[in-house]
Formats: sequence, C-alpha cells, structure tokens
Amino acid sequence: MPLYGTLDITRSPAGLPTLANLDTEAWALPKAETMQLLIEVPRVTTDRLLPKAMHPALPSYVGLAVTKYSDSPVGPFNLAMLRLGSRAGAHPRGFLLGAVASTEAAARELRARWGFPVESGEVKFLRRHDRVMGTVKKDGRIILDCALVDPQPVSGTDVQYINWVTAANAPLDGKTQPMLIQVDPKYTFYKAERGKPLIGTFDAAAWKAPDLKLAEPIVGTCCTVDTDLPRIRFVMDPLKPVFQGTRRIRESRAED
Amino acid sequence: MKFGLFFEISIPRPWTAEKERTVYNNCLEQVKLADELGFEHVWAVEHHFLEEYSHCSAPELFLTACAVLTRRIRVGHGIVVCVPEFNHPIKIAERTATLDLLSAGRLEVGTGRSATWTELGGFCANPDTTKKSWDEFVRCLPKMWMQETFSYQGEFWSMPERTILPKPYQKPHPPMWVAVTSPGTEIDAADRGLGSLGLSFAGFGEQEKKIAEYRRRIKSCEPVGAFVNEQVATTNFLFCHEDEKTGIEMGQKLGNTFNYLATQLISTREVYSSPSYQSLGLLPALRRAATGPDAGEQQTEGMAYGDPARIVRAVKKWESLGVDCINFILNANEVIPQDQVMASLRLFAREVMPHFARKPADAAAAE
Repeated sequence: MPLYGTLDITRSPAGLPTLANLDTEAWALPKAETMQLLIEVPRVTTDRLLPKAMHPALPSYVGLAVTKYSDSPVGPFNLAMLRLGSRAGAHPRGFLLGAVASTEAAARELRARWGFPVESGEVKFLRRHDRVMGTVKKDGRIILDCALVDPQPVSGTDVQYINWVTAANAPLDGKTQPMLIQVDPKYTFYKAERGKPLIGTFDAAAWKAPDLKLAEPIVGTCCTVDTDLPRIRFVMDPLKPVFQGTRRIRESRAED
Repeated sequence: MKFGLFFEISIPRPWTAEKERTVYNNCLEQVKLADELGFEHVWAVEHHFLEEYSHCSAPELFLTACAVLTRRIRVGHGIVVCVPEFNHPIKIAERTATLDLLSAGRLEVGTGRSATWTELGGFCANPDTTKKSWDEFVRCLPKMWMQETFSYQGEFWSMPERTILPKPYQKPHPPMWVAVTSPGTEIDAADRGLGSLGLSFAGFGEQEKKIAEYRRRIKSCEPVGAFVNEQVATTNFLFCHEDEKTGIEMGQKLGNTFNYLATQLISTREVYSSPSYQSLGLLPALRRAATGPDAGEQQTEGMAYGDPARIVRAVKKWESLGVDCINFILNANEVIPQDQVMASLRLFAREVMPHFARKPADAAAAE
C-alpha cells in the first residue's frame, strides 16, 4: 500500500490553531492575484511533516504561494503559504505547513475560521515586466524571497490548483480535538501566466518545516482569479487513513 | 472479440529481490497459461518510478521472455514512450525489430507519450512537446523498419543515412497502436491509421462515442505506416469465479487496489500547467471509483468480474459497442493469490471465451 506520513498531530494539539466551531461563513475573494511556485523536495525531508492519515506525493513537492487579495471581508491583505503536495486517500491535496498574512486581522480570522497555521508579518507581492516577486518578512527577517521569472501567457484551463488540508483543533461530537480540515477554494480565471520558479531565500525553520530542502523546480504560475474560502465541508481523523476517517460536515460549500 | 492480458507489474511494499522476482515469475506463468488457453495478446506497459503501481520499466525484456515461453500469443508494447529523453527512436526501431524476430512475427507496437510528472520530470522531459515528439516518432518508425537506409532531420531528433538493423519479421512491419487515455487521442489514432489501445476505464456511453468517432475518422486517414490498423482495444479487470458474489468481491478488490495505486501518481496536469496536458487522463474516473482499497462501492460499469454468465453479458455489451479486443488486468499489488488468478483464467477460457469464438471463414461466409 502507498506510504503514509508519520506526523501525529494529536501529540501537540496546543501548537495547532483552534476553531470555535466548524461553521464559518464563506469568504468571497474577487480578483486575487496569486503566484504559485512548485518545487520538488527530497522525500526524507517531508515524511515527518505529513499527518499519518495522508499519503506523500510521489515525488515529494511543495507549493509556495504568494497571493494578493485586494478585496476581502477583512480588507485587502497578502498571504504567503507553504503547502506540501500529498494525497488524502485518492485525491491530491496540499497540506498547509505554514503561512504568513500581511495584516493582523487576516491572520487572526484565517486561524480562527479555517485553522490555517498563519502568523502576521510583511508579505509583498510585486509585479515587474519580466517577473513576479514575492517577499515575506517575519520579525524583520526575510524568510522567503521568490519569483516567477519570464511569465508567459497560458490559458486558465491549463492551470490546476489542488485543494488544501490544514491541521487544527475544532469541536466535533461535543469535544474540541485535533483534526484535519479540507479547504477547497474555487477559481474563475481572468489571466494566467507560466514561468520558471526562482528562490532567493527560503528559511525552512521559519515555515515550520526545519528539515525541508528545496530541490528541483517544477513550474510556476501567476493567475488573476475570482476565488473564495468556502464553508468547511469535510474533516478527517488525523490518525486513520483518510478513506476511513473522513466526516462530511455539510453538503454545500456555499452559504446555505 | 479477441482477449488479451495487460501487465503493469504491480509490486507491493516491502520490496525485496525475491518478491520482485516472484511477481515477475507469476506474470510469466500467467502468460504461458494464457497462450495455452487461446488468449490473443499480452501487453506490457512502459512505466518508470511508479512505486507499487508499476515496476515494468523494461517491457522489451519482459515481452522477450513472454515470446520465448509461448508459441501463439502476440506480444505487445503497451506502450513505448515516444519521448526522446525516454527512448531514442533508433533504439525503438532496433529493439522492436529484434523482438519481432525472436517472437517469429508476433509483435504489436503500442506508442504513447507518458502522462505523469513522476515520469516526465524524472527524465527531465518537457511536457509541452511530448505530443509533437510522439507524432514525429510514429511517422519515422515504419520508415526505419521498411527502408534499407534511413536518414532524418526533425525537430526532436535527427540522423544521417544509415541502415537500421535488424528489420522486423512481419512485412511490411508490425501493427502500430497508440494509447488512448485523454479525450481526443482516439482522433489522433484514427487520423494516423493506428489502432486505438484504450487504457481508460470509461463507461459504455463514453466509450461508444469514442469508438464511433474513431471509426468515422479512420475511413479517411493518412496512415503513418504501410497499412491501416483499424482496431479498438479496451482495458478491463478480470476475475472469473463460479460463485458470482465471490467473483464480484474479488474483482472489486482488484479494481479498487489498482485504482487507489493509480491515483497516487502525479498527473502532469497536477503540477505542470501545459496546454499539452489539459486532461487528467484516466485519473478522474479512477478517483471516482477509488474510494479506497477496501471499498466495495461504485466502480465503472462493464467490468469483467463475477461468474461466467455476468462476464459474458459485460463482454457482449463491449462487443456491441464495436470493441475488437479486451485486455485484462489480472492483479494489482498481488491482492489476488496466484492460484486464484490462474483458476480465473482457466474458468474464463472454458466458460466465457467459447461465446466469442470466431467462426471459421467458410461458415461465416455461408451466413
């Protein structure tokens, strides 16, 4: 059978974000600009980062995403995320390892509503003629300096964004407990570009992935999209294989 | 209707030398029996780096062993990856001709381009150009087999004039096919006069549309080879048992395991945005079907498992849609014990194959 991750998130629940409930309303996030850089990483550096319920991607890879949300319920903010390519059962997912939001309000709400492991910091999304750049600073120190070099137009139909999974504490069956939460944004593409990922600085420890080593770049995309953060539909037992431990919280991802 | 075997050579962890050897030997034993039972084809994939799902990275060697062990069954590349980083076209022409000689003219040559980032990335191949390189390769291969000397200047490869040796046993050359997983590839097959080697598990409705379009287009094709190979093959799972319930349960176990392993692969589209890979190939259907290795739920219609009567009904339905050949996957991760795989093959040959026996030419003509 496929390999499983080795991370037991139930051993240190205090380090996880905690949701008051699983009933957050959805956020509409129109005209977001999002840069995603995919990079292969050695498998030995990721085994301990992936929950026991999930399978690693073969080969292992991470996605570094820097997004400019110009309109949201908490105002404009930028968000940088590190996601580990993986499988929840048969489905490709990006397990959220770390995130930085550019405003305190965004960081607070993303932690409380969807359980993102997000802290506040300085996140810049900059577009130049020949590249799109993302820079993240925490405590005055650069922890990510990356770019999509030589962006070339592609069709939005060429781009696939996979859904995310995050680890958090949330109430279920009358008890607040560690669990995995699926976050499945939708995308309507206005513009899509593809280019080469370039990483200047990546401070793995600051992204809560101290052993992670970036290896072969795969590809980068930069897209303008209408997107969202939907209502939570699925949660998963962190210790059981996902195909045995998934619970549907509600039928619809929309406001209902 | 013709029947074949289709090998991915799936090997469960933990991998030991003995386990890999045992699975290969099991496959060879199945091929030997299939030859005796009257199966027409054995196909072997070319996959690289696909852990547990497929350890069949050198199909030409496996197929050579099949050819040596058998007398009648045709041996097929299902498929050769026609991407220069994987296989140089001269080597493809030479290897296939050699295998055709060793098998006394029993070779079928499937072609394709790989669908996973796991493989394309592993060979540092450019996903944007695989369809173009495949097209170039399939146009060159027949000439390399047939012409005394050959030279070529192309986008993906070139060579000065040389004599490519040996030449195939079959004249003018072995039948050629293309793997059809993505929507639209059946049209590529038809336009080039290639056989359609279906590797997806789509249901009847989708397959019927694909076959109809293939049949329509191939009538006006410009074949890349010396002849048109108008044939439609599909892939299926086989587990035949006297007891219908047991047959279905075991067949579903096989199908679920195969699907679950397949969905672990990284499709090119998942990570590499490219107009060349807009489709996820066979993965969406597999993900719908693969709720887990223990799942006994939804699987694509028309699967060849159950008791003989149930399988006869499924095969007749495929036959009515215009399928010429069904190739069966017999195992995945060794979830079916070898003695049961062999018993399933024997029962299928005894109880199902006679329903589809080809009539002698004179009898058919008299009807």
